[in-house]
Amino acid sequence: MAGSPFGAPTAAPAPDGQQLDLDGPEQWNETVKRKYVKEKKIGEGTYANVYRGHMRHDPSTLVAIKKIKHQDDYRDGMPPAAVREMKYLQELRHPNIIRLLDTFGTGVDTLNFVLEYLPLGDLEMLIRDVHRVRYGVADIKAWMGMLTRAVWFCHSNYVLHRDIKPNNLLIAADGEVKLADFGLAQSFADPGRRMTANVITRWYRPPELLFGARHYGGAVDVWSVAMVFAELIIRTPFLPGDSEFEQIALICKHIGTPTEENWPGVTQLRDYTVPSEVVPVWGKEAYMGRFGAVGADGVDLLVKTLALNPAKRITAHEMLQHRWWRADPKPTPKEDLPRKSGGEEKMGADLKRKNGLLDEENGTRGAKVARKLDFGQAK
Amino acid sequence: MAAEDARYRQSSQYLLWSFSPSQLASIRENTNAAARSAIAARLSSLPASSSNTLSAPTSSANTPDPEGSSTPALPEFLTPAEEALLVTFYTSELLRAGDHANMSDEIKATAAAIFRRFYVVNSIMTYPPQEMLIVALFFGCKAEGHFPSISEFGKTFGKENPDDILAGEFLLCQGLRFALEVRNPFRALKGAVMELGLLPDIEASRLAAAERRAREILRFSPLITDAYFHYTPSQIMLAALSLADRGLAERLIQETFHYVAPASNNSGADTPMSDAATTTTAPSKRAPATRVGGEEDKATIIGSHVRDKVLGAIEACRDMLAKELPERREHWTNKTVYKAQLQPLRKKLNKCRDPERSNLVGLQRARRQQAARKDDSDDEDDLDGQARGGGGGGGGGGTTLEEDGAVFGDAANLKGHKGGGGQVKKGLEDPFGPPL
Repeated sequence: MAGSPFGAPTAAPAPDGQQLDLDGPEQWNETVKRKYVKEKKIGEGTYANVYRGHMRHDPSTLVAIKKIKHQDDYRDGMPPAAVREMKYLQELRHPNIIRLLDTFGTGVDTLNFVLEYLPLGDLEMLIRDVHRVRYGVADIKAWMGMLTRAVWFCHSNYVLHRDIKPNNLLIAADGEVKLADFGLAQSFADPGRRMTANVITRWYRPPELLFGARHYGGAVDVWSVAMVFAELIIRTPFLPGDSEFEQIALICKHIGTPTEENWPGVTQLRDYTVPSEVVPVWGKEAYMGRFGAVGADGVDLLVKTLALNPAKRITAHEMLQHRWWRADPKPTPKEDLPRKSGGEEKMGADLKRKNGLLDEENGTRGAKVARKLDFGQAK
Repeated sequence: MAAEDARYRQSSQYLLWSFSPSQLASIRENTNAAARSAIAARLSSLPASSSNTLSAPTSSANTPDPEGSSTPALPEFLTPAEEALLVTFYTSELLRAGDHANMSDEIKATAAAIFRRFYVVNSIMTYPPQEMLIVALFFGCKAEGHFPSISEFGKTFGKENPDDILAGEFLLCQGLRFALEVRNPFRALKGAVMELGLLPDIEASRLAAAERRAREILRFSPLITDAYFHYTPSQIMLAALSLADRGLAERLIQETFHYVAPASNNSGADTPMSDAATTTTAPSKRAPATRVGGEEDKATIIGSHVRDKVLGAIEACRDMLAKELPERREHWTNKTVYKAQLQPLRKKLNKCRDPERSNLVGLQRARRQQAARKDDSDDEDDLDGQARGGGGGGGGGGTTLEEDGAVFGDAANLKGHKGGGGQVKKGLEDPFGPPL
């Protein structure tokens, strides 16, 4: 007999007077749920709560269970972030992408994502802990390699992540970096279909989105990768704008002013405005001072990912072919990468956050509320 | 990078929702049988006088009421074949509703696919297809990255109460095993047309006509047949193109499978890779994931000897689509057909619906009450086991996928997708990382 996707449905058990009986898919759901035991809560946020858990039959195998909360401000059923995360994580299996092990429902209609347990915090923690965490070029190369492979894998599966930043890069027990939080992810659109420009946390947002582009591709994620690269080197956010206007101003100042000459068509973008003083695009040499730690090859790669014109920006695939990866020093083996303890709370914090926001925007400083996402029409 | 076939074999569409015809028939029989027995049990346990579908039954499921007299006679149930016919009818209704709401081809196709998937593992006697098709359209929008407001969406379909639709959303999702992605063939068609357009001897007008017709077919034929369960998007696309213009489809296949292997390594016909390229009517789930790399693999992917297998699959798919060409839209709305074939089945369906589940809003309300009884605040206890300190590190990567296999049947043989240990060194050497 052929297997049903749910195992063989069986007749409903006898009712006990209180419970609704379980039909095939519900029994399957129970079976999945029973595979795990929930332990303590390790994070609580507006979008989800995160729990540590383990496999029932093997308590040494830990998992993270992300329980999606019902949103008071979203009345249209299952929230977009949950739908996106479920859709894309279900399909993407890669060592550098957080693995969705199972999904199940609890209560009436509460979603639970069972994710691999990543206890060593995230890249942001390592970057920020300047006093206790020391790292060098070989470490940066290893982390960047893992990030770039994750992004390349997403793009080669026609998925845009749209929220790449250091605290979405979680670290597994073995040091492997995993791209997480697919709540803003989206398939590459067909040519002509408009997408929202209001994605990617501001400091990591590329100029085309700041200018309101509604048609875009993998280059938006590559810009974010460049920002992470720069941040890993200087250990502070490269372009921390307080507003979108300031974000554009910082890009113009530190990278160059987007103009018709270096980016044909840019002035036609809906929100194109730049400071009046035009700064020529900086050459590689200009980066050597601040970013030279990664060597001339590393800076070459950085500059190529920082191309203002998204059509000229290097792709994730091309990044992986760059000579820097093969130049000395070789990337640090992941087991030997710098790490720090006490990451559990941080995984909880990372997984519960709303997407596309900086920590400060999520926290008590409520003044800066992220722009509402425009999800487009049901067309 | 793995070839497209290898990537497709990682998709939920392949892992969870592809079956051979006999597998599919068998699952549908199981679903039908399970629904019959569950509904029979629920009907028998209903107090004859009460219309409250949720009143507590007093006798166990299959035992006749001791008083005897109050046991209602069981209705005649739909057969699997009758269910299949009605699902097809409701799929055509879904497509009409999607047209009515001016939805995109992708959304309509995704909605139709998830509707049909849902009714592989659920019976239409259990959950009402008329309502679920609207739920599928709503969720189809979401699965395609659009997030409509429920009130506006509801208005389009004359559903003033959002709960009429939302009550079925989670149910649908669970029925889909939380796998929301549907791989549609529309983009493949665009690609095929672009490739054919590069050939010097193909007239633009012929190509345009073929594309129009093929698209028209893709918007209907594979959606109301089982094509999505049996064939890959590119096979469906090629079958549609072949129905539109057989010469063009054959030309494209010739151009694609052009590789003539060097004499040495040409035994690829039986490798999993060539199996996948020709995933015919019986996709093999046991094929281990293969890694595709060098030149020698080309022969197993685009070698000319693979072509015949591909042609076989496309021909079979073509036969399936030919049974429901776009002109058949009228068949499904034809009054005479409706009266003769469909109305009797709908009447039959009305008499054998699940008393507990055919009302989605009522069902959700009952679930809420049940949940509230169980725990006033939350469902935290759902997962509780003995809370343990848990031993040390250990990422979740080692979760037993074998167990998935046991739960899901062999459809989900995910072994081989694990991020391998032991690949560390390789990972450092190759910027693209170790094989998946």
